[in-house]
Amino acid sequence: MIKTSQLIKRVSTAESELEILRGIDLEIKRGETAAIVGASGSGKSTLLGLLAGLDAPSSGEITLDGVNIVNLDEDERATLRSEKVGFVFQNFQLLPALTALENVMLPLELAGIDSAREKSEGFLSRVGLAERFHHYPRTLSGGEQQRVAIARAFASQPLILFADEPTGNLDTTTGATVVELLFGLNKEEGTTLVLVTHDNILADRCQRKYIMTAGHLEEAS
Amino acid sequence: MTSPVIASIRLLIRDWRGGELGVLFSALLLAVSVVVAISGFVNRLQFNLERESASFLAADLVVSSSKPIPAPWMDEASASGLAQGETITFSSMVISADDEMFLASVKAVGGAYPLRGALSVDKGLSQASTDIPEPGTVFLAPRLVQQLSASVGDEVYVGDATLTVAGTLLSEPDSTTGFFGYGPRLVMNTANLDETGVVQPGSRVTYRLLVAGETDDLTTYREWVEPQLVQGQRLSSVDESQPGIGATLDRARGFLLLAGSLGVMLAAAAILVAARRFGERHTDQVAVMKSLGATRATIRQLYAFSLAWLGLISIGLGSGIGWLAQSAMFNALAGQLPSEITRIGIAPYITGAVTAFVCIGFFAWPPLARLGGVSPLRVIRREETIADATRSTDLVLGTASLGLLMLWYSSDWKLTGALIGSIAITVGLGFLVAQTLLTGSRQVGSSAGSVWRLALAGMQRRGTSSAFQVVIFGIAIMLLLVLTSVRTSLLDQWRLQIPEGTPNHFILNVAPTDESSLLTFFAERDIEVGELYPAARGRVMAVNGQPLPDWDRFEEGARQREANFTSTDTAPEGNKIVSGAWWEVGTELSLVSLEDGFADDIGAKVGDMLTLRIAADEFSVEVASIREVNWESMQPNFFVIFPDKLLEQFPNTLFTSFYLEPGEKYRLGELLDVMPTLTIIELDVAIQEIKTIIDQVSQAIELVLLIVLVAGALVLIAGVSASVDERLHESAILRALGAGRGTLSGAVAIEFATMGSLAGILAILGSETAGWVLQTQMLDLEYQIQWVLWPMGIALGAVIIGTLGTYACRRVVSVPPLQVLREL
Ligand SMILES: Nc1ncnc2c1ncn2[C@@H]1O[C@H](COP(=O)(O)OP(=O)(O)OP(=O)(O)O)[C@@H](O)[C@H]1O
Ligand SMILES: [Mg+2]
Repeated sequence: MIKTSQLIKRVSTAESELEILRGIDLEIKRGETAAIVGASGSGKSTLLGLLAGLDAPSSGEITLDGVNIVNLDEDERATLRSEKVGFVFQNFQLLPALTALENVMLPLELAGIDSAREKSEGFLSRVGLAERFHHYPRTLSGGEQQRVAIARAFASQPLILFADEPTGNLDTTTGATVVELLFGLNKEEGTTLVLVTHDNILADRCQRKYIMTAGHLEEAS
Repeated sequence: MTSPVIASIRLLIRDWRGGELGVLFSALLLAVSVVVAISGFVNRLQFNLERESASFLAADLVVSSSKPIPAPWMDEASASGLAQGETITFSSMVISADDEMFLASVKAVGGAYPLRGALSVDKGLSQASTDIPEPGTVFLAPRLVQQLSASVGDEVYVGDATLTVAGTLLSEPDSTTGFFGYGPRLVMNTANLDETGVVQPGSRVTYRLLVAGETDDLTTYREWVEPQLVQGQRLSSVDESQPGIGATLDRARGFLLLAGSLGVMLAAAAILVAARRFGERHTDQVAVMKSLGATRATIRQLYAFSLAWLGLISIGLGSGIGWLAQSAMFNALAGQLPSEITRIGIAPYITGAVTAFVCIGFFAWPPLARLGGVSPLRVIRREETIADATRSTDLVLGTASLGLLMLWYSSDWKLTGALIGSIAITVGLGFLVAQTLLTGSRQVGSSAGSVWRLALAGMQRRGTSSAFQVVIFGIAIMLLLVLTSVRTSLLDQWRLQIPEGTPNHFILNVAPTDESSLLTFFAERDIEVGELYPAARGRVMAVNGQPLPDWDRFEEGARQREANFTSTDTAPEGNKIVSGAWWEVGTELSLVSLEDGFADDIGAKVGDMLTLRIAADEFSVEVASIREVNWESMQPNFFVIFPDKLLEQFPNTLFTSFYLEPGEKYRLGELLDVMPTLTIIELDVAIQEIKTIIDQVSQAIELVLLIVLVAGALVLIAGVSASVDERLHESAILRALGAGRGTLSGAVAIEFATMGSLAGILAILGSETAGWVLQTQMLDLEYQIQWVLWPMGIALGAVIIGTLGTYACRRVVSVPPLQVLREL
């Protein structure tokens, strides 16, 4: 499902060239759950962004569902994202001008799916926000916002869901609820799940666990 | 993908609810409303002023002739759909039943006379009328009533006709046609003309055909008649017959056009600012949408459609607001203007729509188009920003498009060039100066107190964005300065044109022996009278020995004419020598100075010898100079001027001028009782009408200035509020870290005041440039560097922008930081 080989990401800063990812090889199969852990600044978010096609690597290969996305241009990657990929961000990234429901509907509308509203209402209800359809993000708590973000990520029924520290901003109980949601949806929809987390308990629940150290990735046994 | 049409509507509705659209939408709305209001108002005002000034001729176009107007000319006028009237003027003795006699200037009127303006007649018993006299009746000017001791109902004789006095003529629209229309007026109906037997072949009669109608029809008619004119016939419109009014109207038109163009520029600036802010606020949204799979094309389509919708809505709504505004302005002047109902026509709406689309295409679209390029990575790393490398090309493109828009709007490349040029200066210098000073201020700031350090560091951190704000503020202030100073010069000039107490009566034919009794007469009545100048009536017979044809026996004849000669040894005030030189005081040489148009008519240049005749004496003079005369001043102007010593040798009379209060017209009768041979020319009505027009135009200008000021204020507000978001976040953090509210608001105030004074400097540089070009090249006004504006512009910039900025940012320091951090 997801396969990379010798993935390298360099960025040029004012002083020098910085190599963030130094040759990443990984393989995750369809329907699997995988966790990436590692110290802050080790390059986890950067890797996740590359896997999701949000950015292009400096060199190396990324294959998503059989497509080598390195050769795609930004628009082709966007289409791929809208068809196959969901993303839950570290800092939620809900649009403040849209209500909870509209935020969830957005990817469906972008993909031109007709029953956007019914589907979105369904997903919002599943994350326990049936009462909050018409509330704006600023009136929701952090946990609630994260649940809207998860509903949004699942609404387009992606093949792969990337989540960058989905529980990082949440208290233990709320975090646990969110985690249950992610795993529940993974079971029900068969979605491949890739998480970045600092939470070892969460990482241990995943079928695969990778450790990132200064741009190098290793699979923990 | 859902159809972009529907998606864009959804986006708009959501943005509207979220309050994101407010500034952009109001800027667009402002652009359309200002353009529709000003161009609609200008159209209507111009139409009305043209109508009103047309009343100086009582028509839009007049054909005058020494012979009866050919019938086909009248038929052609009817065929062209023009309204027509006729007047036939001549001098004739009028005799009362008691055998009182007086030489009157008779005007027989018929057809639809007057086509423009109205007669005002007092029919006694407090009845007033504006109709022309019925056949068999006449109206007499008050002086004629006085001289003939005739009253309403009495009979008077004009030649062989016996006519009944039906009223006193208070005013007639075309009273000034034929500057030297001697004698008080008698108005009769053309139906009685034959009965009088006065009009015989060879008698001095002027026939006029008056026509009025649509501009296009008039042009067609004019082009048809013009080639058929023969000697003794001429065609005139208001501009030609009343150069003073023509020039006044041209200036007013120029100013209103300028004001309208400035309105458009200000609105465009507001849109530019608003669109930038809109784009910035949408960056995150676009990044999220892209991460969710939206392509660059989708995003562009979405925003293109949104803008199109926004454009359509603002055109619709703005047209409505513009219409309301222009009719409100027009009603404000209603008491002054003729009550004729005029529609503003479709043109202002088209102008408004085109403006909206140019503004959208060149000002709102570029920042939004770049949204397509936002990196989706921004959802992970906030620092990823929009690539804004093309911003300066935006400004260049925008300015160019604005130039074209203004050129189209004003059809005046000088005006456009002056404004675009000065904007280019403001923008270019602006970025340079602002960047340098902002960087420099950082150095100063680091050694200053904490409030200053905070303020200057903030400005510098926002470097380009601060420079951009300074430039926008500078442009807005500059445009307002330009408009205000042009307005002031214009109004001053108009006030000077006809100052209070300008002589409104002229006396000709004062016998040199009567000089002292005339002066006594005025002294006894406490009326100030001007100096007495010698005058003689004569004609130019030949140029360089080449005789001029004697085909001009009529005052308005196209070329050579009988003229009033005067003499003076000092060049008359307000006259400009265009070639040759003025003679020395006391010269005994036979010299002459000619008015340039007159010189053209007879084909004379400096150095030519003219043969002139005064009474029976023929003599030769050399043309010493040619003068340009200011016809706008209602001063006596002379075509032909001699040195004093030369005119003394010929029989001459004296002339002078004086000012009479409106209530003292009866003095004229008293004067004629004492000295019946005097000729009095009454210009009071004409002067009053010019004053009325000037008053109206001045008021219109003040109103338009007000609208443009409002537009300018909105630009400033838009500019200030553009940076509120940015500051909100920053100050929330600073406050969370313990910065006091005093420190923060002090910093904000200092920051805006600094930007304001920078903008003030730019504005002054720009406005001096634009003002110089506009006033000297376009409005024909004197230009002076307005040194007072320099400190004022800087101080005002600092105070206004500082206050507005602090006010707009009050939320920045008053909202609890927690709330801010949560909202963002
Ligand atoms: N565009 C960039 N320019 C410069 N440095 C970058 C850029 N992108 C990432 N970095 C650097 O690369 C390193 C890895 O960043 P990344 O966000 O992937 O870390 P992370 O493992 O997700 O850390 P955290 O757990 O704190 O979220 C960091 O040191 C970051 O500063
Ligand atoms: Mg991270």
